[in-house]
Order: sequence, then structure tokens, then C-alpha cells
Amino acid sequence: MGSVQSRRWFLVPGVIFLLVIDMVPLVYSLWVSFYQWWLVRPRDIRFLGLGNYLSLAADPAFRRSILVTCTLTFGAVLAEFLAGLALALLFAQPFRFLRPLRAVIMMPLFVVPVVGATMWRLILHPEMGVLNYYLGLIGLGNPQWLADPTMAMCALILVDAWRTIPFMFLVMLAGLETLPAELFEAARVDGASWLQAFRFITLPLLTYIMLVAVLIRGMDVFREFDIVFVLTGGGPGTATETMQMLNYRVFGLGHMGQANAIGVVTLILVALMCYLLIRVVQRSR
Amino acid sequence: MRTRKLLTVLALIPALAWTLFPLLWILTASFKTELSLYAKPPQWIFSPILENYRRVLFNIPFFEYLTNSLLIATGTTLGSLVLGTLAAYGFSRTRFWGSEALRFLILVTRMVPRMTLVVPYYLMMLKIGMLDTYSGLIIAYVSFAMPFSIWLLIGFFDDVPLEVEEAALVDGCTPVGTLVRVVIPIAAPGLAVAAIFAFLVSWNEFLFALILSGVHSKTLPVVIAGLTTDLGPLYGEMSAAAVMVMLPNVLMTLVLQRYVVKGLTLGAVKG
Repeated sequence: MGSVQSRRWFLVPGVIFLLVIDMVPLVYSLWVSFYQWWLVRPRDIRFLGLGNYLSLAADPAFRRSILVTCTLTFGAVLAEFLAGLALALLFAQPFRFLRPLRAVIMMPLFVVPVVGATMWRLILHPEMGVLNYYLGLIGLGNPQWLADPTMAMCALILVDAWRTIPFMFLVMLAGLETLPAELFEAARVDGASWLQAFRFITLPLLTYIMLVAVLIRGMDVFREFDIVFVLTGGGPGTATETMQMLNYRVFGLGHMGQANAIGVVTLILVALMCYLLIRVVQRSR
Repeated sequence: MRTRKLLTVLALIPALAWTLFPLLWILTASFKTELSLYAKPPQWIFSPILENYRRVLFNIPFFEYLTNSLLIATGTTLGSLVLGTLAAYGFSRTRFWGSEALRFLILVTRMVPRMTLVVPYYLMMLKIGMLDTYSGLIIAYVSFAMPFSIWLLIGFFDDVPLEVEEAALVDGCTPVGTLVRVVIPIAAPGLAVAAIFAFLVSWNEFLFALILSGVHSKTLPVVIAGLTTDLGPLYGEMSAAAVMVMLPNVLMTLVLQRYVVKGLTLGAVKG
């Protein structure tokens, strides 16, 4: 009883709970995805094998949703990465007045996602919103943010970036602060410009953290639902219907086999990204 | 150095404006009359009214939804603290074959897309009659909050010296008694952080609440998202509701900022 090793039994309830709550639905989902299963016809459940997956592969809506998801992921992660890096470089400078401002920059990360999206929906409103008024002042016209297919995608990227630039910022700032100051000191003595120091010291040493941050955010945007649901609902038409939105729509139709099949495909794609992340982490060790 | 300082300040202005502008706009909009909401140019100085808040609080059953949100978040916090503390303590004090892999597996469960989980979860809850119940949502949220709690708490428990525990054991304390009376008081700050994060996981969650909740368990994010259907006349009310739901989160940022970095960079910086 006294031995410390007996403490291992403490982790049994938590680990079992977690595995059951995560694994049972996933196995069940895989099983349902092999059936024709309409929620309104519980007596007419038929085994289809890979039928749901084959009809997905032939479905133009599904193929378009993959493209939409990739566009959103690429656009949002790129914007967040560049802005986050710039902010981190700004805040890594040795000025004392920057410290308390970090908390301000972090705020959007804490806003309830749905509330943040709602807020932006009010701001982007073409008549009552405030953004278009100021854009008009600088001659950028009156973009129909949520009614135009291209602008709707831009709006999603904008709002996702607003919420999660602080994430990129914090991760990269934490990385910047671990860089040895002597290196920059030596570079300065040798007459290197700020740009050269950034190119030849900061970038190579930060590559690992940047890669990890980009992969984590990539997986997050890939699975994004709240912002898309509130801002565009996949519209106009199906212009911003991501895989998650399509999955939600098919679920809403009661087509359970198909909905689970989309879920399984999404999981496989995210798992591939996750595998890539693990490889990156392992290689750096 | 002076020019550099000046440039820094100049670069800060757009960064702060970008971060704060939407928040300030919604805050002011929530205190505006219908007339000043439509005003062009937008008014930043006006005489504030509380009408929007009054309407949100009393025209929709706001307190009912608030109670749902609070009770579900409290249940999530308690559940994930109890299970997370036990598991983290176990991980912190023992090494066995596969324990590293198990720790890692727990972190990976965070990566599963919620949509992939919610569809089968809905079918299962439907079958056992737990749709639209608090416990149906709490069980799901505990599983969302636990991976982070466990990883955070392992760090705090690792810092508790083993000698303290051995002394308690020699004095005749049971293992559970040692955990409760000796280890937990020392690691209390870690538990507080884990509790706040678990609370926020539940407070913010939308997808599961949207699909699993109904008239008895609707949470605030679902209510807010529902208001968007009829935008024009609800502009003021929506702003007021947004401000009220946002408030606890923004306050917690200030309390937590030191730990946020630790949480977000978990795994990323440590490697």
C-alpha cells in the first residue's frame, strides 16, 4: 500500500472515461457509415459496404467542400502566421511599456467563438455595420461582405484571423524569447543588418516552432465550425460550405450513414495532419 | 534607440486598433438607441441607454439559459477536476510500460474533429434517452477539458516533493488521504487554473450544445447564434447579449494570462 508505484491505479478512472467517451462514438460512427441509415426510417437500415464513401467520391458538393475547406485553411493560416510573426517581433523588443499590452492583444482569443462571430456579423452588416462606412471614407466602396461568394470567404478568413492571431503571436513570442541574446549581439558586432540577423538567425532557429504552430492552427481551421455557421452558414448558396458545414447539413437531413462517412473522411484527413505534426516534433529531438 | 521606440509605438497603433475596435464598437452599440445605431457617421459619443440590456434580460428567458450554461459549466469543471486530478497524480508518480504512449494518446484525443464525434454521439444519446439533458452535455465537455487538465496538472504534481508524501504515509495517511490533505493543497494554484479552463471549455462550446440541447438545456452560445436569423431590429439586443456573454471571458484573460502561454505552447515549445 505504501509503495509509490501503487499510485498508478489513480489514473484508471480518468483514462477509461476518456477512452470510452472518445473511442466508442468513433467506432460506432465507422459502423454506421457502412449502412444506409435515414433517421426518419428506423426500420429500413441496410448494409451498403463502402456505398456511402463511393457516393461521396462522386458527389460534386463534397468535392467542392474539400476545396472550400482547403482555401479557408490556407488563407486563414497564412494571414495569422504573417500577422502573428510581425506582432511577436514587435513585442519581443526590450521596451517596458509593451508588457501590459500583451494582455490586450490576447483578448480576442478569450471571446466565445460564437459571440466573436456574431459581433463581426454586426460590424460587417452592409447598411448598419460600421466597417463599410470607414472603408467608404478611404474609397474602398461598399463590399457586400456576406452576400458575395469571394467576399464571404474573405470575411471568414478575417474573423478567424481576428480571433486567433493572438495564438500565433503567443507561441512565436515564447519562441523568440528562448533565442540566445549573445547570437544577436555577435551579429551586431560583425556589422549584420537587422534584416540579415532576422534572415540568418531568427528564421532558422524559429523554424521548428513556426512549423508546429502552423500545423496546429491548420488542424483547427480545418475543423472550424462555429464561425462559419454564424457568419455565412455555408452561403451564399454553397460558396463557403466547408466539410464541417456539409456534414452538418447532411446530418440535418437525417442521412446518418452519409453524415458519418463525411465525419470519418474528415477524421482521416486531420489524422494525417496530426501524423505530420508528430513527425516534425520527433525529428527535432 | 529613440527612433526605434517611436517606430514601435507607430506600429502598435494599428495592432491595438485591430484588436480593440470590434470589442469597443459592440460595447458602444449595446448602449445605443435604434436611432443612433443607424446614424452615419457612426457615433462614438452619445447618451447611453440600458434599454437593450433590459430587453435581452426580460424579453427572452435569458436567466433560464444563463442557469443552463452555468450549471453545465460547473458540472464540467467538477467532473474534469476529479478525474483529471486523479489521472494526473497517477501519471506524475508512476512510470510503467506504455505510460509515455498513454500520456501522448490523451493529448491526441484533442485532435478528433468535434463534428465526427457529435453525429454518433447524437445517435447514442437518442438511443439511451439522454438528448436535451445536462448530463449528456457534461459528459462530452468533461472529455474535452480533461486532456488539457491532465497535462497541466502533471506539471504541478511533478513539483511536489516526494519526501512530503512519504512523511505523510509514515504517519499513517492512506494514499487517497495523502493526495487530498498533502498534495492537493500544495498544487492548489494548478487546480485553480485547470478549473477555470474547464469552465471556459463548457461556457464557449457551441456545436455539441447546438445538436444535443433542446428546450431544457439550451446554453447561451446557442441562444446568441439563434438571434442572428433576424438581424435588423435586433442589432442593439444582440450587442448587449454579446457583451454579457463575453464579460466573464475577458475578465479571466487578465487573471490567467501567465498560464495561457503555458497552456497554448504546451508541447509546442517544450518539444
